[in-house]
Amino acid sequence: MDDNSIEVKGLYKIFGPHGEKYIKAVQDGMSKDELNAKHNHVLGLKDINIHMPSAKIQVIMGLSGSGKSTMIRHINRLIEPTAGEVIYQGNDICQMSKADLQEFRRHKTAMVFQKFALLPHRTVIDNTLFGIELQGIGRAECEEQARHWLKRVGLEGFEDNYPNQLSGGMQQRVGLARALTNDADILLMDEAFSALDPLIRMDMQSILLELQEELHKTIVFITHDLDEALRLGDRIAILRDGAVIQQGTGQEIVLNPADAYISDFVKEVNRGRVIQVDTVMTEKGKRSKTSVESGTSLENVAKMFSDTGENTAKVVDADGKAIGGITMKATINAMVTPATH
Amino acid sequence: MMGLKDVLPDVMTEFPEMGRADIRDFKKGIDGAFKDFVREYGELIEGFFYPLKIFLSWFERLLVATPWPLMIIIFAVLVWLGARSWVIVVGTILASLLIGYLGMWEDMMKTLALISVSTFVCIAVGIPIGILMSKSDRMQSIIVPILDFMQTIPAFVYLIPVMMLLGIGKAPGLIAVCIYAMPPVIRLTDLGIRLVDKDVLEAADAFGASPSQKMFRVQLPLALPNLFAGVNQTIMMALAMVVVASLIGAQGLGSNVLKAVNNQYLTLGIMNGSAIVAIAIVFDRVSQKFGKRLQKHSETVHG
Amino acid sequence: MKRLLATSAVLAATLSASAAFAECGDIQMAEFNWASGELLANVDKFILEAGYGCNVELIVGGTTAIFAGMNEKGQPQIAGEQWVNALRDLLDPAMEEGRLHAVNKAPILGLGEGWWIPEYTAKAHPELKTALDFIEHPELFPDSEDPSKGAFIGCPAGWGCQHVNNSLFRAFDMEAKGWKLIDPGSAAGLDGSIAKANERQENWLGYYWSPTSIIGKYNMQSVPFGVEFAGSENWDSCIVVEDCPDPKPTSWVKSEVFTIVTDDFMKNGGEINDYLAARVYPGDVMGSMLVYMADEQAAGEDAAIEFLTKYEDVWTTWVSEEVAAKVKGAL
Repeated sequence: MDDNSIEVKGLYKIFGPHGEKYIKAVQDGMSKDELNAKHNHVLGLKDINIHMPSAKIQVIMGLSGSGKSTMIRHINRLIEPTAGEVIYQGNDICQMSKADLQEFRRHKTAMVFQKFALLPHRTVIDNTLFGIELQGIGRAECEEQARHWLKRVGLEGFEDNYPNQLSGGMQQRVGLARALTNDADILLMDEAFSALDPLIRMDMQSILLELQEELHKTIVFITHDLDEALRLGDRIAILRDGAVIQQGTGQEIVLNPADAYISDFVKEVNRGRVIQVDTVMTEKGKRSKTSVESGTSLENVAKMFSDTGENTAKVVDADGKAIGGITMKATINAMVTPATH
Repeated sequence: MMGLKDVLPDVMTEFPEMGRADIRDFKKGIDGAFKDFVREYGELIEGFFYPLKIFLSWFERLLVATPWPLMIIIFAVLVWLGARSWVIVVGTILASLLIGYLGMWEDMMKTLALISVSTFVCIAVGIPIGILMSKSDRMQSIIVPILDFMQTIPAFVYLIPVMMLLGIGKAPGLIAVCIYAMPPVIRLTDLGIRLVDKDVLEAADAFGASPSQKMFRVQLPLALPNLFAGVNQTIMMALAMVVVASLIGAQGLGSNVLKAVNNQYLTLGIMNGSAIVAIAIVFDRVSQKFGKRLQKHSETVHG
Repeated sequence: MKRLLATSAVLAATLSASAAFAECGDIQMAEFNWASGELLANVDKFILEAGYGCNVELIVGGTTAIFAGMNEKGQPQIAGEQWVNALRDLLDPAMEEGRLHAVNKAPILGLGEGWWIPEYTAKAHPELKTALDFIEHPELFPDSEDPSKGAFIGCPAGWGCQHVNNSLFRAFDMEAKGWKLIDPGSAAGLDGSIAKANERQENWLGYYWSPTSIIGKYNMQSVPFGVEFAGSENWDSCIVVEDCPDPKPTSWVKSEVFTIVTDDFMKNGGEINDYLAARVYPGDVMGSMLVYMADEQAAGEDAAIEFLTKYEDVWTTWVSEEVAAKVKGAL
């Protein structure tokens, strides 16, 4: 399988007419406020370095104004960087010619937008095949692909409707189907589910996870919602004021928040769902009869204890070999948010 | 009592004019230059418009020669295709019958030929200009004053050069109509394209649309409602210009109105004027309904 | 007694003269919307205002509009250059019934309506001498919209001369000979078509009248019809009528221009009427004035001043020395 990882290196973005003039000053430590006050330019991104693994979901999280939407637009260069590199399969996207960039966007990436960005004058099916149509593929094949993916996202029978005849959740399924129909290795999702109601959002998250199990795309997912980030993200990068303040797996972030800002965030998180048994297992209980699989969340371990009435269990790897043990006490301790950090 | 004029120095009360002889030389110089231009390039320019003139003459002859019952059927079908409204179809048939009965059939055909071809020319030239204008702010800042000029300068002013270049008849009449009627379609094409949702444009970019794909698959279709409003206005303004066009020999309902004005033929004026209004109403209703039908996607079913 | 009578007569004359001065007051005068009409009206306005102390308001309009105004509303009161041929049916009864009066039956000499060609066309085809000759050659005057036909430029729709040209077109059987009668739409259209033809040295055949700036400017040549005037019966009851069934070929009727005034003005205008009756422009003077107006693009007002300055010997014969002095003073 191809390596579809994306390497972001030393990426800077300064908004304003002469951004490149101030890059040196910013690299030498000029602050966002100073840049704004002195030169009336806005620092969008500051020295971003992220390795986005192939075939995984990389979440970029931050509040509004943190630069996360700017960040994702550098991957398909909807925004021109001021400095830095975005490497994909050995090529720097930031250096691509116009023609190469167009090809790259057509074949390698697909994007899902917060506000859906569907074409109101096209029917659902015509929206879905918009991306491959641009590639110059014949109408019949376009339609076949589009129908397939519409079915996969549960929109069979709505092909001939217009977008504004659909609810928000359904519209975003069209957006997702459009991106999937493009059959690109990279899927960019810019707050794709943020505009949806909580229940529908959960639903869409499940659809995405389900599809990813089979598709193994490199997904870059932008969100401001930590629960969503933890649920979807194989890796998470947290942005604040245009800079990455912490990155790692969800579990790493929840267990070791880098600063007060992040610990504020993670305080409300359902830790039982995020933390895996591997993180808190010890030697204690390794010989128990009951077993849980490596990678099981603490929530599920607790459920198992409560179902079976046991107090200890062994943790086994994929081959069934015991690699550690877990107790009910340790489980409950780990699930409770620490009082301080 | 002493007026202000007595107190002020002469230069304040009499405008310091250029001087009669200088103004005369100035006017004569420009006139002379234009005459030289006409002598030099008149034939070339006339040649350029020749196909248009031949087409317009042919189209007019076609409309005049087509038997009237067939013509009315064609009207009805076209109106039905455009508006899908029986009321408008019946109205069109009644209006045509009445106009024909009152002896204005041939003049109406001539006016229709002029209006149709003018509208066609305005659209064919106006939309590309509008697109060009929407693509660059600099272009817009150059074109907008020209459009203002075209719309506000009295038509009689440009009738003179148009006539010197193309003589009298249909072709110069058509040019005069287009100068006045083209600005709305240009303006509204530009506006329509500029109003296209930025999110949708970004999506097109993200999927790798080339500039022309973006224009023809996203921007123009979404600009269509505004563009159609522009076409509608262009037709209305073209109709308003038929009387002026008849001043330089474009025949039709307009020349009858002119004749009525010259002779105080009250009834003739009202009849031909009303026929122009009837055509205007039909064109307006049909193009509006057609424009609405193009936007059936905007009918919200879901709340 | 005789002396007394004489004295009182002089006194009365003086009184009435000064009364006329005092009474002159406001006059509404037509300014016809063509060059000679503009000149005439503005010269009259200048002389009447400077020489007679009147206050003249010019009302701009065309033949039929002005006539209708005078005939029906009594306004304007004076029409200096009323072309009467086309209006004969209306003007004759109005004059008989005393609503209108012709105070001058030839204010401009050397008038003529008819058909004209450019000088170069005449030079290029010396063998073609009359309208009868020209109408055999439509190919010399190709219509721009249908070059297989010859274009004869008629009179703008709504003008009195329109029916005349229509009738002559049929009388000379021009359609069968391959001609098309073109309606130039307006005076501007007619002039523009002559100007364009001359600038481009294209042949042109059509209707115009003289003396006019455009005839002078382009040295247009009048085309004799090659037939006699076929009688006023044919002319008045057929040629000038719309769609007359059987027009006979004829040359153009002798054109007449009157200065007409309303009945009210005839009675109260006093010596203004004498002035109007005396004012006659020789044809060559009018011709050169019109060329001047065209060349200099002079408006009627400027042209009037040019005329009064340049042709003092002409206009001073129209007025008393006293009035002439006042006008000269105002120049």
